[in-house]
Amino acid sequence: MINIAIADRARANEALTAAELDELASADILSLGMLADEVRRARVGDAVTFVRVIDPTEAAGATVPGEIRLAVLPATLVEAITAVEQASATAGGRRLSGFSLAAIIDRNWGDLAEVLGQLKRAGLDALTEAPLDLLTEAEAALQACQNAGLAVQCLSVQKPDAGVRTDMLMRARALAAKFPWLTTIAPLSREQSVAVPTTGYDDVRAVALARLALPSLPTVQVDWAQYGPKLAQVALTFGANDLDRVSITDDESLGRRRTSLEDVTRNITAAGFQPRERSSQA
Amino acid sequence: MDLKAFEQRIESGGRLSADEALQLYRHAPTYWLGRMADGVRRRKHPDGLVTYIIDRNVNYTNVCVARCNFCAFYREVGHGEGYVLGFDEIYRKIAETRALGGEQLLLQGGHNPDLPLAWYEDLFRGVKQRFPDFKLHALSPPEVLHISRTSKLPVPEVISRLIAAGLDSVPGGGAEILVDRVRKLLNCYAKASADEWLDVMRHAHQAGLRTTATMMYGTVETDEERLQHMLRLRDLQDETGGFTAFITWSYQPEHTERGGVEATGIDYLRTLAIARLVLDNFDNLQASWVTQGGKVGQLSLAFGANDMGSVMIEENVVRAAGAVYCMDEVEIVRNAEDAGFVAKRRNMHYEILGDPFFREHQVPRTLELSTAREAGDTSVPAELVNYPARTAAGKRQRSQPPASPVA
Repeated sequence: MINIAIADRARANEALTAAELDELASADILSLGMLADEVRRARVGDAVTFVRVIDPTEAAGATVPGEIRLAVLPATLVEAITAVEQASATAGGRRLSGFSLAAIIDRNWGDLAEVLGQLKRAGLDALTEAPLDLLTEAEAALQACQNAGLAVQCLSVQKPDAGVRTDMLMRARALAAKFPWLTTIAPLSREQSVAVPTTGYDDVRAVALARLALPSLPTVQVDWAQYGPKLAQVALTFGANDLDRVSITDDESLGRRRTSLEDVTRNITAAGFQPRERSSQA
Repeated sequence: MDLKAFEQRIESGGRLSADEALQLYRHAPTYWLGRMADGVRRRKHPDGLVTYIIDRNVNYTNVCVARCNFCAFYREVGHGEGYVLGFDEIYRKIAETRALGGEQLLLQGGHNPDLPLAWYEDLFRGVKQRFPDFKLHALSPPEVLHISRTSKLPVPEVISRLIAAGLDSVPGGGAEILVDRVRKLLNCYAKASADEWLDVMRHAHQAGLRTTATMMYGTVETDEERLQHMLRLRDLQDETGGFTAFITWSYQPEHTERGGVEATGIDYLRTLAIARLVLDNFDNLQASWVTQGGKVGQLSLAFGANDMGSVMIEENVVRAAGAVYCMDEVEIVRNAEDAGFVAKRRNMHYEILGDPFFREHQVPRTLELSTAREAGDTSVPAELVNYPARTAAGKRQRSQPPASPVA
């Protein structure tokens, strides 16, 4: 069961302490889910947004709304700028995102704000993500993004490690307070071990805790392509309200009702929510 | 809807009527259904155990005349990809299964008109001679019915002969939805009507066998028909007490003639939960990780399931329809323990056999389920010539020199 006092504080959008989050993490999974669902509906209603993500190589012929996204960061800054310019030329007015903030820092291409500024001037609208667990100086890195005028689409988690989850959520809350333009947390890890993947309980617990821990971030996002329809749909009932990376590829051989768009809207509706496609940041 | 009143009824062990179950299935919040189902699961299994079985899911043939339009596994008689496993291949699979701690085959297959009753009897006897303690959980009701029809023997006699040859229990496959309107639309009425399916189970129970019961949902049935299915199982369980467990899964549409879409994960959890509430005389509900994936499979444990099903080792039917999930014993145990349960190995009768096998033995990890045969293996078992074929294609095949069985 859930501690009533903690639940009431979560309902009131108060900042829960690390100890309170740890206590919530040990609650039974259904009680935790119910609370996260209740808080989510009170905070952001029953809409679920989703975005179709278009690879730049498919952008020219694509007529669907969505976002152009560069997935892989090239080896050099010159190549990265070129890739952004080429993608920007095919974007057709759609938002162009790309790259992980941590990956750019890893490349060590010089002054970060200047590098980000060059990417912005080349046509990049936003960085895809800022992985909390890979950024040793996250505040400085996000400050550089702010200085360069480059948005960051979400705070994310790269490696699955439930042991540092509370610490990560506390850091996310501090960053959200410092940078009010942050709107989104993607709490499910980008990396998955084939031999020892995160469990369903791990995943929905992480989603629920993100919803309860971060009242100032309205969007809790799940990667539709990585986590698949079943887990992603269940995650919606544990506090998530946005689905990232819906494919634009419709396999017509499977019939109209098997298309990605149909699939995602069907899953959202069947979970009791209202689907809304978005073409910009969540 | 007065959920409080339903809570009191369910918590006091009261039985749900068809109308009440429908009302809850359609309108009760998902979390409410989960909590109620979890409560019933706790009352039935207060020990905090989650069980599983190490067995292998072997499909002895994919040749089938039933032509169910939801099936992507079968091949018609004479089709180049049709196969029948040889006895030696099956014995080898059993030896591999035992090495992984397995003690049972879940043996099912197509309705192959060229396999007479004697083939099954010889296979079962051969298994028991070589592996006396090994269990055969074999031949779903439509297969028993098929053998009854091709052998022109009544079902009780077929069951009796199969038991004499070594049959230990009957899997609940082929139930789909036990409503004839649905069965006709799925083109599976001819293989077994709802009454025929239940009647085979009744005979099996009367012969002393324990069986499981299944439900495949998400094709053409209504909510009422899903519940009608459950209620028919509940009635037979009241009568015989022969079912050990209920397993439900969603229709897997890929590569099937019927096509369409798969029911969602939430639909699965709600269906599982209402089954726990309706099937008050079933002790065990399995999680179908093979169709839902490991993650929703694990979440099933919060929605009424108390069993993670089988390690499987091999799977062909669901894979043919697009589902490719795999959980070896390590993963099943890790998921059960992560959800707060104690994982124990069991047999088909749900008797506890012990702690996880891999903790006491060196067992290689399995990250992908095996298939019946390697791709391209079209060998014909030598012993088939000993059994008369009914079809022209079967007769032709058996008149040719036998190919060497797989080593």
